[in-house]
Amino acid sequence: MTDVYSQSEAVLDKHDEKRPRKRLNDLWLTLATFSGLLAAWLIATGTGPWDPIIQPLFLPSPALVIQTFFQLLENGFQGKSLGQHVGISLYRFSTAFIFCILIGVPLGLLMGMNRRVRAIFEPPIQAIRPVPKIALLPLFLIWFGIGDLSKIIVIAAPVFPIIAISAMQAVQSVSRMKIQAAQSLGASRWTVFARIVLPASLPGIFTGIRLSISIAVTMLVAAELTATSEGIAWMALTAAEFLATNIVIVAVVIMAVIGFGLDRLFWLLERRIVHWSGKD
Amino acid sequence: MLIEPYACGTHCSIEEAKLAFQNVSKIYGAGADSVTALTPMDLMVRKGDFLCIVGPSGCGKTTLLNLTAGFDQPTSGKIMIDGVEISKPGAERGVVFQQGALFNWMTVLENVAFGPRATGHSASVAREMAMETLQMVGLKDFAKKYPYQLSGGMQQRVGIARALTNDPEVLLMDEPFAALDQQTREVLLEEIRLLWKRTGKTILWITHSIEEALFLATHIVVMSPRPGRIRAAFQSGFGRSDDPLISVTPEFVAAKRHIFELLKSSQKDEVQIQ
Repeated sequence: MTDVYSQSEAVLDKHDEKRPRKRLNDLWLTLATFSGLLAAWLIATGTGPWDPIIQPLFLPSPALVIQTFFQLLENGFQGKSLGQHVGISLYRFSTAFIFCILIGVPLGLLMGMNRRVRAIFEPPIQAIRPVPKIALLPLFLIWFGIGDLSKIIVIAAPVFPIIAISAMQAVQSVSRMKIQAAQSLGASRWTVFARIVLPASLPGIFTGIRLSISIAVTMLVAAELTATSEGIAWMALTAAEFLATNIVIVAVVIMAVIGFGLDRLFWLLERRIVHWSGKD
Repeated sequence: MLIEPYACGTHCSIEEAKLAFQNVSKIYGAGADSVTALTPMDLMVRKGDFLCIVGPSGCGKTTLLNLTAGFDQPTSGKIMIDGVEISKPGAERGVVFQQGALFNWMTVLENVAFGPRATGHSASVAREMAMETLQMVGLKDFAKKYPYQLSGGMQQRVGIARALTNDPEVLLMDEPFAALDQQTREVLLEEIRLLWKRTGKTILWITHSIEEALFLATHIVVMSPRPGRIRAAFQSGFGRSDDPLISVTPEFVAAKRHIFELLKSSQKDEVQIQ
């Protein structure tokens, strides 16, 4: 018996030892990819004693992009500071996103738990899902005005179905055996939901949320296409009209950083909260 | 031979039985697509019996366990525990599953304390009860680990501890060691036998292994498939033995051979029918 224990402990230790080294190797490869891309950018834009292969109008050099960033930081863009542009975009983005999580996750859970709720809500949500939401923007503008509401709604429109449906599917795929185990331990319906169905659904819910982040960032650009004069995506679109490629790139990088940062944030949360995911 | 046939449906009255199956059958689906998982059967299990149900896939043994656990309802007949008809899952019937039934978002301790918590004990009492059973199955030091950090054998111990902590009247075990390697299984089978002797629990054990059934059981019900039915039933003396090497004695081997031939002949029947 003691053999069985010590063996399995040894297996555990080996696992823990191996992981950090592997991760370090992967990190080097990732760094190499980014260094390569940066080098290509530097060479192509003429950083050095040679002429730029690509003209700054099409691709400004990294140095110019950084310089532009600090200029924007100092002077703002079209009467508003860079912080204000980022702030208003973040406000539109996060209002839509938080709304989708606060309403979409509970609704999805209910749809997964209850056939009637599913019969009521799933068909309309599934029907809306394939509709390109950008096409609805003119309608939203007519219905909800040219203020922030129509922008928040156009961001929420594609995110909401994804989050609700993924929560529903997460509930539906909870192992029957685990539910039966809880029932035969004397758990009430509520206990089964709170301590089995809900935690077992979390990995699926996280997947839905992380999937939505990049879609929401894309929709931010759509939302700021018209009827506004502020926001980071609007800044990119406006700068493009003046062929100010350097400003476009700064705006795009800021949006990428926001999207990437949010994804990493939820990735960290996921790893902490559902550390057990997939390890059955 | 240490095994002898007995009338598993009539050897004691319903009043005497801990578990009573009366004319129980199960048909899945309806009309032309229906599948008879279990033809009507009677079975009485006395308190303290270690009853093994042995048979190949499709013989209805897992259906029988699911009905007893209350996960499913019989098509005909009724199943009673202490004379009360079973209609839904309950804490007086502890279930141990094959594998993957642990709550992997909870620590070992939380898993084992789940039952007492669900049946109304305070958190601290539940913890104490859980620690006690963990000690009994030799996992006290692993209380704070998560199930995925344990080996398969240890995970099954947690599953057994979890079911035991509720102090159920009956333990229902669905091939709990089928996914384990031979050595671990033998160690755990020996432990189960000791556990049964110590606690005197009534155990309903599902297995496809004749050897496992002979090693553990006081009563063996042999089932055969398509349609699922009871083929034969034996009382067995091997389960009460203290000899860990009982399975290599001539009597044991002879008994094993007897049941093996029985199962084989039922397979032949099937081929002829087809």
